[in-house]
Amino acid sequence: MSLLWLRVAVLLYGIAALAVLPAALYNRHRWRHLAVPVALAGAFFHFVSITETFYAAHRALPVDTHETLSLLGLLLAVAFLLLAARYKTMAFGIFLLPVTVLLTLVPAFHAGRETVAYPFAGPVWIFLHVTLLLAAYAALLISLLASVLYFVQERNLKSKHASSGRDSTMKLPPLETIDQIALKSLLLGLPCMTAGLLIGSVVALETVGPAFFADPKVLLSLAMWMAYMLMIFIRQHSGLRGRRAVYLSSFAFLFVLTVWAANQFSAVHRFKAP
Amino acid sequence: MSDAGNKSGTLLLVGVNHTTAPIEVRERLAISTARLADATRTLAHQPGIREAMILSTCNRVEFLIDQEGLPEGPNDLILPRFVHEYFAVAPSTLEPHLYEFREREAIRHLFRVASSLDSMVVGEPQILGQVKQSWNVAREVGAVKSTLDPLLQRAFSVAKRVRSETQIGSSSVSIASVAVDLARKIFGSLTGKTVLIVGAGKMSDLAARHLIQQGARTLLVSNRTEERAEKVAAALRTPAITTGVIPFAQLHAEAHRADIIITSTGAGQIFTKIQAREILYRRRNRPMFFIDIAVPRDVDPDVNNVEGCFVYDIDDLQQVAAQNQASRSKEAEAAESIVSLEVERYQQRRSAGPAVEAIKQLQLSAEALRQQELARTATRLAGEPLSEAQQAAVDALTKSLTAKLLHPQLAALREISVTTSSDSE
Repeated sequence: MSLLWLRVAVLLYGIAALAVLPAALYNRHRWRHLAVPVALAGAFFHFVSITETFYAAHRALPVDTHETLSLLGLLLAVAFLLLAARYKTMAFGIFLLPVTVLLTLVPAFHAGRETVAYPFAGPVWIFLHVTLLLAAYAALLISLLASVLYFVQERNLKSKHASSGRDSTMKLPPLETIDQIALKSLLLGLPCMTAGLLIGSVVALETVGPAFFADPKVLLSLAMWMAYMLMIFIRQHSGLRGRRAVYLSSFAFLFVLTVWAANQFSAVHRFKAP
Repeated sequence: MSDAGNKSGTLLLVGVNHTTAPIEVRERLAISTARLADATRTLAHQPGIREAMILSTCNRVEFLIDQEGLPEGPNDLILPRFVHEYFAVAPSTLEPHLYEFREREAIRHLFRVASSLDSMVVGEPQILGQVKQSWNVAREVGAVKSTLDPLLQRAFSVAKRVRSETQIGSSSVSIASVAVDLARKIFGSLTGKTVLIVGAGKMSDLAARHLIQQGARTLLVSNRTEERAEKVAAALRTPAITTGVIPFAQLHAEAHRADIIITSTGAGQIFTKIQAREILYRRRNRPMFFIDIAVPRDVDPDVNNVEGCFVYDIDDLQQVAAQNQASRSKEAEAAESIVSLEVERYQQRRSAGPAVEAIKQLQLSAEALRQQELARTATRLAGEPLSEAQQAAVDALTKSLTAKLLHPQLAALREISVTTSSDSE
């Protein structure tokens, strides 16, 4: 049953991802009224699917990559809905909704096979570790998107073409608003990442011992946290915006992708080896 | 005011506007808000007029009435006569400028006016409020009833539809409002933003006032002559606005305090690329908007290439305004289609009105008669009352009989309603 709800969610996300294009690119209000409720319905069915899966398996943990991807997809869909409600912008949906569709498409049609042998001592802590880190990744992705949109809007304004009216290009929020979104998402992501890594470290110390910190993946995660901190520091203190902000965010995002990929190869992190 | 007993009336709209009459004529017909109620009441009390409304703005004066009788009938001259008499203007002065619309064309004109398609600046939003104000006044004096009231409410819905389904009012067409729009695209809300005026001119003053209206709260002025700067600052100062003067010699050192700089000195390049970089550095790269309305330009065009600096000169602003104007014209075509569609719909509903009313009355009378006969039968059978099942059977039988007896009449009335609608098209 949970797979059925997930498939319904994928379908709804797909419709929302298509509807958001005319809403954001050509400022068609009718499509906006379709995209938001459909995405909301998608997120609801997605949540039902995840809850049902966990309930049926008597656990509150994503145990394979597919489930983790699905959880990240839900976080991104919720992020889109929050941005649409708070800033009245559809522009983020152009990227977030297709990514959500992709992240949920595979889990909806192929159940994951490999599982992580989580230590039984603290499933709630592991759940928090995973969810908080996924939230941090989602925040970083939003920050990257905001930097790109800032760059696009800056180019639009510098090109000096009338940017309103039916045939105008993408309807974007004002520059300062986009900048605020970029910074706020980073500032929200930082405590998530810090808490997620701290919880993970404490659980690892109790389960594996100090050997856990010799794992390159774990070291890479700490480096990622430092890169995250550095990025916030640079943005806050030099007011980095525009093209250079895109470069910096892209660098941090690539770092995160590397850490994510390393997760797939780290036997220690997946509790398969001491 | 005549009683509205007779349903068949004629909608008539007579008026002058900015395209048909010069200001000398329009000002003779203009009615102030204070006099509007009296004028509407007087018009509505003219013999032959059942309902009336007057719309008076700086660009138009229009009289909309529902008059008794058929178009081209003996009452045909009521409105032109009232206009001549009330305003004490000779007919020969007015006649060349008056336009007149009847029935469907009057509805169309009203919908176009409310949707701002007949305005001097197509898409401007004030006209809808003005029509609503006239409607309120006419309602207060009892001049709009069963004909004009639904018509005007429909006009408001059409205007709302035009606003929501087209982009007719979304872009600015004046230099000052284009500048404000651009500032909002950079800063979002202008609340708390600081504006610096360099040089003193009418245009910069106007742009600054627009920015203040949108929420800018601090205004700095810099001019070669400090007294002149003081004067400009004093003119723009209000309890809510903080103003200050920056000596011209310290302009570059203090410019970083401003989010928006309006320059109009025409003294050559006051802001170069290097200076812009320095200012931006002091602002920690927060964006900055230069509105250069001077000729020759005060800001080096290359400043626009500095990340975070946005420079619009007078030509750029005019170009955006022209593009927006063209975009509005394009949107107006879509709006005209909506208006045409709505006129057809309204006209159909209006034509079908009497037939629908007759159908309703016939059905009500038949049902009353049926209930009366059922009650009489029940009294007659008081000694041997019917069981519930028998009562239900009798009820169903009488309903069925009534429906069959009424069917030919109802079908004929429905046909009349459809024919009237198609005839009116």
